[in-house]
Amino acid sequence: MLAKRIIPCLDMKNGRVVKGINFKGLRDVGDPPQLAMEYERQGADEITFLDISASLEARQTMLDIVSETAKNLTIPLAVGGGIKNAQDMRDALNSGADKVSVNSAAVKSPEIITECAKDFGKQCVIVAIDGKRVDDHWEVFTHGGTRPTGIDAVKWAQKVQDLGAGEILLTSMDADGVKTGYDIPLTAAVADAVDIPVIASGGCGCKEHIADVFLQTRASAALAASIFHYNECTVSEVKEFLKDRGIVVR
Amino acid sequence: MPLKITVTDYGVGNLYSICRSLERCGAEVEVISDMSKLRDAECIVFPGVGAFDRTMRKLLPYRDEIVSKLESGTPALGICIGMQILFEGSEEGSNPGIGYYPGRVRMMQAKVLPHMGWNEVVTEDPLFDGVDDRMFYFVHSYCGCPDDPGVCIGKTEYDGREFASFFRKGNVYGTQFHPEKSSATGKKVLQNFISFAEGQI
Repeated sequence: MLAKRIIPCLDMKNGRVVKGINFKGLRDVGDPPQLAMEYERQGADEITFLDISASLEARQTMLDIVSETAKNLTIPLAVGGGIKNAQDMRDALNSGADKVSVNSAAVKSPEIITECAKDFGKQCVIVAIDGKRVDDHWEVFTHGGTRPTGIDAVKWAQKVQDLGAGEILLTSMDADGVKTGYDIPLTAAVADAVDIPVIASGGCGCKEHIADVFLQTRASAALAASIFHYNECTVSEVKEFLKDRGIVVR
Repeated sequence: MPLKITVTDYGVGNLYSICRSLERCGAEVEVISDMSKLRDAECIVFPGVGAFDRTMRKLLPYRDEIVSKLESGTPALGICIGMQILFEGSEEGSNPGIGYYPGRVRMMQAKVLPHMGWNEVVTEDPLFDGVDDRMFYFVHSYCGCPDDPGVCIGKTEYDGREFASFFRKGNVYGTQFHPEKSSATGKKVLQNFISFAEGQI
């Protein structure tokens, strides 16, 4: 049976992990390649790097980090943040990323999804969707959650699937950073509406939240940052907890 | 002398992971984009990047030669699309495949595709000797359907159905999963493949 995936996410700015991270035994606590390796050792199923820098110089730094990480990592590596076109995607893949996620650029020019899927295979193309509850539905926001688009998140998810996306990284703007659990209604609505894997993101504060999102929605994977970074629990502890609840994990 | 493995570069994807993984297992890796060089290969790895037609493009003129080379006993490993192109053809594309494995590649029947993530491979093949954990990383929407059931040496369950995930004919192994993305478990399988290949040459 296909296992549910646990994906630690490293938010990076100018080549350093932004959120405070405190692994025992690692001297340089903000070093992404080392952290990625530590998560692989703990049993992470995939790693995501999210670049939240804005500058062009930071892009090159990010690519260098991707290639440094890919030298030793033997689980899939996804990279997102600031991907504007097929060339950015090609650069990330050529640096050693296995998948690349596009967000704002996909909203601005949806054809980029089809173009990238054709060039690199749809399995490389993740469309990141940031959704926020507005009245009786969820609206897509771009540019780090700052710009409303007027687009319905569930319909957008269906559209990106039709355009060739291989996977959806779904972040709830309402839940993100609050640590009170994943947005179950949003995740369920999107995962029910599409036939490609959905990664739930935003709101994870403890291992119970990960169990909840797997038990209550069809999400294929759960992405989390702070519970791993702050040593609240390890990936292996999360997996033991999920196993005890009958959820298939590696 | 380390085993020299020839890795085919179809010109469509990044071969970094597979090359690094093979090197970490002690092999010497040579990447070729001129497929005529396959003639001299002592061991071949067809890596798993790209779509069917684009992957076959450079290999097409050498189909017959590659089949003879594989039939002569050259040890080889095809990974994901690199395994699928060893079949006669695929629903994913219009180009013919190499045609070494009898049968075709078909779209999987499942609600959610691609089949993406870690799943179990059930096999008795010695390539899995010493592999305790049988979970490997998969990412694909098509799977190989051999006409000769003996070619399938391992299976995986997804969405209530079994599909062939591990293949062997002669000295040519094929994996639907990605050993180079499957952490320590995948590394052990690659090491076993290298030992197997060394024993064949």
